[in-house]
Order: sequence, then C-alpha cells, then structure tokens
Amino acid sequence: MNANDRWNNATTDPLGLSDLEAIEPGYDGWARIESSLRSQVAAQRNWRRTGGWLAVAASLVLIVSISIRNNEDAATFESSLASNTNAGASNPTARDTDNIAALISLSQEMEDQVKQLRQETSSMPAESVIYVAELEDLIAQVDNELSFTPDSIDLWGQRVNLLLDLAQIYQQQWQIDYGRMAAL
Amino acid sequence: MTGSGFDIHLDEVTLASAKRGDMRACEKIYRSYHTPAYTLAVRICKCRELAQEVTQEAFITAFRRVPQFRGESPFWGWLRRVVINHAISSLRKLPRHDAVEFEDYMVATSGDQERLGHAMDLSQALEKLGDGDRQVVWLHDVEGYKHREIADLLGKTESYSKTRLNRARARLRSLIDANEAQDSAATTLGATLNARL
Repeated sequence: MNANDRWNNATTDPLGLSDLEAIEPGYDGWARIESSLRSQVAAQRNWRRTGGWLAVAASLVLIVSISIRNNEDAATFESSLASNTNAGASNPTARDTDNIAALISLSQEMEDQVKQLRQETSSMPAESVIYVAELEDLIAQVDNELSFTPDSIDLWGQRVNLLLDLAQIYQQQWQIDYGRMAAL
Repeated sequence: MTGSGFDIHLDEVTLASAKRGDMRACEKIYRSYHTPAYTLAVRICKCRELAQEVTQEAFITAFRRVPQFRGESPFWGWLRRVVINHAISSLRKLPRHDAVEFEDYMVATSGDQERLGHAMDLSQALEKLGDGDRQVVWLHDVEGYKHREIADLLGKTESYSKTRLNRARARLRSLIDANEAQDSAATTLGATLNARL
C-alpha cells in the first residue's frame, strides 16, 4: 500500500470498518422466497386469464346489445309498414331466445368469476366497498324483476353489465395491491 | 471488494435466465449474494431478526423486478441498493428505541486475538451508534457511497450525511478508546495483583 492508498483509506475508512468480517446468515431462506415467487406467478396468470375473460364477456354483451337494437329497429320498421299485422309481436323470436340463453349462461359464468375474484382480493378502501354494496343491491333488484319477467333480454343484459362492473372493481383492487407489492 | 462483499460478478446467462423467471437462476443468485446481503442488512439494522426479514423481502423484490434491470450498472450494485432501501424502510417503520449497550469482554494478549478483539470492539461499537449515524458511516466508509448518494437514499441533505459521518466516526473512536483504556487498566490491575501475590 503506497502513501496515496493509505491517505485514501484514511479518509474513506479511517477506522477500518471494511476489515470487519462478513456475517454468516445461519439460515436458508430460499424455500420461502421460491414459494413467494411461484405464488405470485400463479396469481398473475390467474388474473391475466380473468382479465381476458372479462374482455370477452364485455364484447359478448356488446354484440347482444347491438343484436337487440337491430331487432327493435327492424320491428319498428315492419310495424310502420304493416300496422295491422301484430301476430307474434309479444312472443320472443328465435334470435331473442338465443340471446337470452347466451346472456343467462354469461351471467352464471360471471357470477362464478366474481365469487373467485372476491376470495382473492384483499381488503378494499371504504369507497370501493360502498360501490360494491350498491352494485350488489342493483343486482338483487334486477333478480327480483327477473323473477316476474324471466324472458326479458334487457334485464339479463343489465345483470351481466352489473356483474362486469363488479368484477372490474375487484380487478382494479388487485392491480393496486400488486403495484404496491412490486414497489416494495 | 466492498466491505460487505457484494461486488461479485454475475454471468450474463444466469442474469438472462433470472429475467425469464428461471427459478434455478434465481436460486444461484440467492446463494451467491445471500451472505453479503445479510451482512449489509445486519450492519444497517443492527437487529439480526430484522436483517433476516429485510434480506428475504429484498430478494423477493429483486427477483420480481429483475426483468426491469437494464444492465447499465453492475448487477451487484443494483441488488445492494435494493437491500439498502429495504433496510432503511424497515428501520423507519420501527418505533424509536435507545441504542443497546454492549457487554464487556476479556481481551487476550496474543497478536491474532488482539486483532480479533479490535474487530469485536469495532463491531460492537458500531452497534452502539444510533440508527442514522450507523447507516451513514457504513454506507460511506464501507460501501463507498458519496454524501450526495447517501442523502438520496435517506431522503436527507448532504450536510446531514457529512455531519452524521463526523459524529459517527468520533463516537466510534471514543468508544474504542474507552474500551482500550478499560482493558489497559484491567491489565495493570492484574499485573499489580500478581506482583503483590
């Protein structure tokens, strides 16, 4: 060690703290780290799948809504041409029946998804909890109306849309939680 | 080599594999840097249980974020910073506490044991410092951070870092001197007693 090194060492580490030996941990924490990383990867995959599923559900609702709108427009046009013809107007068409079946199936799947999301989401801020409660009240109201008119496309569409909103709240909460974890 | 022994080169293949989420590569990194990370965490936190927690969390964060590591600086420097950030953050969350007094111990007379004794003096004196002083003196004197960098890490000013460093060094010196004086007195007393007997 030359004079310059000695001087540098004296100004950067005059007490020789660098000479202190490393401290052996005496434990192996790899298993815990690996488990944490694996569970995070699984959660990410699960949520990516759910996110994709939500997008598909939203697209389906949109398609059904457009289809309903087209049916209504066609019905209005036909009724203006032949105002006397009203045979079968109160009965749902075959397309309506298909749409209702699709919405009922979508609604059931959405409900399962929301159930799963609810289990996987941590505690939420008060505002989100209030919003969730309001949405659940609205779903209960729609269910009540559906008990009187089970073939209403409009009501089934509303139900699916409300479930979509609910799922999005849970998904956003997860994204916040995940962002917080990643920022640590 | 840095004081905590962090400056270990990591090969590109292992790094690339870890970025892809390969667990074997992550484990290799963990095994390579576990001791330096733990040493650094103990030096900053003082408490070994807390240091263990800090080290675990730091590795989890590092492996989650490694895909974002661009390689502009050495990997070890990046990992070291993750550990330091976790340690500082963990200390901030703790309620304020007084420094723990270190226990006296006997000093042997052989050369090796004297050096060991000095290291123990230093190590224990370091533990006697307050959190702020200990962080600054370790980061500056051992890890080689500059005052500006320490100020950034701690969210303080450069003059805070300079003041803390001077104070920490002075305190360490006085603690070591006091201990040596005590040992010297004990030796003299022992010699006097021996002479009387």
